[in-house]
Order: sequence, then structure tokens, then C-alpha cells
Amino acid sequence: MRASAVAGIIYANANDGLLKELTTNRSMASVPFGARYRLIDFSLSNLVNAGITKVGVVTRGNYRSLMDHMSNGIYWDLDRRNGGLYILPPYITKGAKRYNGSVDAVYGAEDYILHCKSDYIVLYNSDVVANVDISEAVKAHIKKNADITFVYHNGIVPKNDGETMLLTLDENSKISAVDFSIEGNVEANFSIGITIIGRELLLKLANEAYDENLESINRDVVTGNLSKLNIFGFEHKEYVKFMNGMESYYDANMDLLNGEVRHQLLNKKRPIFTKTRDDMPTRYGTKSQVKNSLIADGCVIDGIVKNSILFRGVKVAKGAVVENCILMQEANVLENANLVNVIADKNVTISSDVVLKGTEDKKIVLKKNQSL
Amino acid sequence: MKNKKCVAMLLAGGQGSRLGVLTSKIAKPAVPYGGKYRIIDFPLSNCVNSGIDTVGILTQYKPLELNDYVGSGKPWDLDRTNGGVHILPPYQGQQGGDWYKGTANAIYQNLEFIERYNPEYVLILSGDHIYKMDYSKMLNTHIESEAACTIAVLEVSMEEATRFGILNTDENDTIYEFEEKPPVPKSNLASMGIYIFNWEALRKYLTEDEKNPESSNDFGKNIIPMMLDAGEKLKVYRFNDYWKDVGTVDSLWDANLDLLNPKIDLNLSDKNWRVYSRTNAMPPQFISNEAVVENSLVTDGCEIYGNLDYSILFENVTVEPGATVEYSLVMPGAVIKKGASVRYSIIAENVVVEENADIGGDPAVVGTSGWGITVVGANLRVGKNARISANKMITEDVKEGEEI
Repeated sequence: MRASAVAGIIYANANDGLLKELTTNRSMASVPFGARYRLIDFSLSNLVNAGITKVGVVTRGNYRSLMDHMSNGIYWDLDRRNGGLYILPPYITKGAKRYNGSVDAVYGAEDYILHCKSDYIVLYNSDVVANVDISEAVKAHIKKNADITFVYHNGIVPKNDGETMLLTLDENSKISAVDFSIEGNVEANFSIGITIIGRELLLKLANEAYDENLESINRDVVTGNLSKLNIFGFEHKEYVKFMNGMESYYDANMDLLNGEVRHQLLNKKRPIFTKTRDDMPTRYGTKSQVKNSLIADGCVIDGIVKNSILFRGVKVAKGAVVENCILMQEANVLENANLVNVIADKNVTISSDVVLKGTEDKKIVLKKNQSL
Repeated sequence: MKNKKCVAMLLAGGQGSRLGVLTSKIAKPAVPYGGKYRIIDFPLSNCVNSGIDTVGILTQYKPLELNDYVGSGKPWDLDRTNGGVHILPPYQGQQGGDWYKGTANAIYQNLEFIERYNPEYVLILSGDHIYKMDYSKMLNTHIESEAACTIAVLEVSMEEATRFGILNTDENDTIYEFEEKPPVPKSNLASMGIYIFNWEALRKYLTEDEKNPESSNDFGKNIIPMMLDAGEKLKVYRFNDYWKDVGTVDSLWDANLDLLNPKIDLNLSDKNWRVYSRTNAMPPQFISNEAVVENSLVTDGCEIYGNLDYSILFENVTVEPGATVEYSLVMPGAVIKKGASVRYSIIAENVVVEENADIGGDPAVVGTSGWGITVVGANLRVGKNARISANKMITEDVKEGEEI
């Protein structure tokens, strides 16, 4: 396959509203995850690891932190003379909507799609944490001569505001029916928000849908074309989690403490790339006690840390205790402070002796730059 | 090419033979340091932080890994349209070519490179030292003093002075004599191997030195004495912060463990003076439930299930349950398996220490005579239950149960 045969489009604001505690100042794609990542690192890296060198990122709002994170794409090797990274900020389209649904998002990226000259497009929602072999999915799409391929996972159906698409597949992985009515507590095949489609077909469907005022590619366009098009599924068997609420966000972070999940998501064969900072290695002090934790570079730990995720530059002073917490970049926990079940956004300061205990069911979420 | 005020030339061609097996495959400036750095990160970061954006790196010995590491210079912001970093190996010309015969000859062979930028000043650096230094301050002092050459010096003790190149100066810090490793030193000002020359003067003396077949083409031995004889004004620039030569196994080990010493002023997380390095895409470090980690530096990609104390772990190191690492450096990709113990050692890249192997010795147990740091060379395997005592340099695989 020629280098530019496949291009990617990532939808940066996928389901922002479901993680609103963390998306007031940023898009879903730039939500910090797993000690040193942002959610978009998974989609960008998965695409790049499949040899895709042209990726458009469709943004709707709050995309400053995302632009800062992605820069010119260098960390994903997407600083290219040919192709590379394209940031597609919103502009007013024909109907003056601002990316209200996936149809509008694709429509907004029309110029990019028209000019990218690729045969296939991989559409990717940024609200899913998974390490997917996109290259195999594209191969299957081509081999089956599919019009559309949905990457799916078999498991408990996640709640996703009625957006989760259940798939019924025949023995040849062809999709015979889709269903949006079931969510939660049922085991089924569900789409994980990664779609492979021919470029010409995508443009045609998006234009038709736009003219008919349809909003969702999955719900409206696919459902209406199920009998006319060859639509297939490609199974992703490994770990998948949707960021459809603070609970799943917290759980997905903590899942990284499990070696099996960690080695699936952050493997060497398909590495997850991210923006690098020039932090020094993490320094563990004389009285430090760290157990079952995932820690980024640049931290200084003199206290006790258990079952936690520490992002870059976090400081835990002598006598401080951090348990079951997610502490993002530059959190500063001073002497004898005690944090349990806390999710702290970037740059939070916890003064000496402050005690802050959430419960397993109700985590305390601290806002960016908050001081206590 | 736009003219540059100051161009830096970094001498990175030396073998570093005193580091033994650690430099058997790589040049000394590429030797890993401090968990995520290489020695060359220090002069390169100093250049960039000092506003010097044109750096020639003179390579000769085993340059592959160093070339790869420096690459386009991006991590140091040295991928410039005008200037930037340039790797300068010896080359063939119409009249044939030659290896770099000495430090001065290496620069002489690259006069054309410097001429492209037509600088006023040339900064000569080496890739052997760990230090943070603002070269722009030294350059200002050099310009103000109207000297032809300024040499950075460190005040050492009179005992140590016998191991250094010593500069004897008058009361105005003007140099009147250079002595290499004097048995009876007259001064305690040790040359740090950092020189700033006026470009015209440097070109003149390098060209003259080249005509002398007897010369060993060395800055300390030949160029500086020649300039003194010619009556040029040479000054010292005094430097008072942390500086360590990492040319030997012991000093490399020392300079690493200095990072764990709160009394030593070598802050690598100073946002006003960053030390940049090329980093790979590695997951964050994982510290397990059974691990005990104290007084250590650990970086991305490490998975720690055992015990660490007074150690520095480089990227992607695994320490399995029940294994112990104390007072040691474990370089990228090494694996310390269950129950193994590593003490007072340097474990080079991608070494596998099999179960219950025991490497190195504690000076308190071994006794100081005959004690030393044990080094295991890159990509080697130390077999199960093998025992390697203190002060050993391991250059080939160690068999199961073997005692060395």
C-alpha cells in the first residue's frame, strides 16, 4: 500500500460533556490520562503505528490545550512535509452549525478530506482508551472489500448517552443489524468509535446527510444504508474503556496498575507516544514509601503513596499520605497532608496537615490551580 | 551563511579508555548519565541555554550511537535553518585525509566549517564533564578583558592539582604558564578544558602548529604554550559551581550518586537552566506493592518489584521481586531477576542478571583495599547464582554458578 493510502480524522471533542469536571477548559482529546498521557495520544499513536502519516484533528471548542499538546505533531512523527498533522478548527459551515454531530464534523473537515487524496479514511473518536491494531483493521477492510468497517469490542456495553452502537454480525463479520437502545449490564458487540470508510463514500454520505439535516453518521447514516452497503466489523479483543463519566475515567487510570492491562495498553510493539518534557527522573527520598503506583518523571516523593497515579512534576512531602488518588501535573502535596480518593487537576496545592478524604463512590475532584 | 558571534566546537572523538567496557562500543560523550541523560547533554544544553546555536561535534571513535543520539539536534533546539548542530567526522580531501591527530588538529581540519559562520569567537568544549555553566558570562569576561584566549578554571586542592593541567597566573588572572600534571604545583587553578579564542588568533596559531611535525597538535601541550611564547594575552575564567570529570568508572559512579546527595548543588530540574535529552516513548514507571524504593532516581519505563536504595535506574529497567539494587547504576533496558543482588556496581545497557546472582561488594564488608566498583558490560548475561566480587570489569557472559 502506498504511504498516503490511508488518512485519519480524529474527533477531539467526542462526548466532552460526559467528563465535564475535566473538560471545562479543555477538549476530551486533551484530558490527562495515565500519568503522562492525554487521551488523544492513543488515537494519534494507533494511527501512526499503522503507518498513517496524515491525520486531521477536528476540534469544536476549548482546543488551546490540545494545540499546545500536539504542537506540530513532532512527538508522533507527524511533522511532515507531505501530510502530517492538520488541526481543523471550527468554521461556520453551510448550515451555520458548529459541529453538532459527527456529520457536521466530517462536513467541516470536507476540505481536508477532498485534498488528502487518500483512498481510505479512519474516523476516530478521542474518548476511548485502547491500543488498537489499526493496520490489521484496514487490511481486513480492504480484503473484505467493505464499504465501511466498524472496530468493535465484545463486552459489557458502556453507557454513552445513547451513542453506543451494538452490532449484530454474521459469521463473515458482516453487520446485519445495529441497535442504539441498549446500554449497560449487557454483554454484546459494540462499536468503539473507530470507523474505516472509503474517502469518496465518506464525502458522498456526509453531503447527503448534511442536505437531509441528519446529525450522526452512526445512528442516522449507517442505519439508513445497512442494506445498501457492505458494512463489516473488526474485533478488537484487548482492553477498551470509554471515558463516559468520572467513574470510568478513574477506573481506566487505576486499571493501569494491573500489569496485564498496562502491558496491553502501553506495549512496546505499538508504543503510545506523547509530548515530552525535560523532567529529571523521579526522586524517591529517604522516608518515601510507594506501593502499587504509576508515576511519571519529574516527581519528588518523600511521603507515602499508595494505589495512585502521579503525573509529571508531582511533589509529595515528608509525612504526607496519598492513597487511591490521581494527581495531575505539578500537584504539590505539602507535609503531613492526607489525600484519599482525590482526583486533582493540574497544578493543585495541598497545604500542610490538610486532610481530604473522598469515598470509593464519591471521589473529590479538585479544579486546575486550586489551593487548599 | 549569516555570521555568528560565537561558534562552539565540541571535541567528542576520544575513546575514554579508562571507562573500560562502558566505552567498548560507544564514544564517551554517549555514555548514559543520571537516569535519562548522556554526558553530551550537558555541554549541548549549556550551549543552548547560553545562546550559542551553532555547534560542531567532532567525532572519531565509535560515532554510530552518538550520531544517532544527536540526530537533527531537535531535543536541544539545535535543528536550525541557520546554524544548529553539525556532526564533523574526519574526511578525505584532494590531498588525502587523516584521522584527528589531537584536539587542535581536529579543529584545524574543520577550519572551513568555522569559516562558513565567520564568527568573532570560538568556544572549545569537551564531552567529558558534568556541569552547568553559562558560557555567555565567560564570553563577556573574555570580550571585556581583550584577551586572545580565556580558559575556564576550577580551584582544586593542592593535592588534586597534581592530576590536572594547571594554569599559573599573576594577580590579574593573566596566565603566564601552563603545566600538565605538575608534581609540585604552583597554583591550584585546574583547566576545565573549556576555551574561548578570538577566531583570528585561533586560526593563526592552529595553522602555525600544523606546520610543526613535532607537535602533538594538542591545545594544552602546544597551542597554549605557543600563544604564551608569542606574548598573547591569556586569561583564566574562574568557575565555582559543580563540575565533575566522568572519565573513570569511579568518577562516573560518584557523579551519578551526587544526584542523590542533597548537599550537592546539581539541580537538573531547574526550569531556568534545563538539561535537555533525547527521550523515547516509554510508559510511566510502575512501583509494585512489594517494592521498597528509597533514596533513588527512577525514570520512565521502569517496573520495580524489588528493593532499591541509593541507586539510579535508567529507562526501561526491570527489578523483579526479591531482587536488591544498592549503591548502583542500572542502565537502560537491564533486567535484574528474582532474588538477585547488585551492590556498588554499574550494570550497562540491556544486561540480564539472572535469578539469585550476586554482583559487587560493600566496602564495609570487603574492606577498602582491593575494593572498587564492579562493571558489567552492555548486552551481557550474568547466569543464575553467579557471584561477581567487587572491583571487577566484566566483558563477557558469566555462566550459571560461576564465581569471579
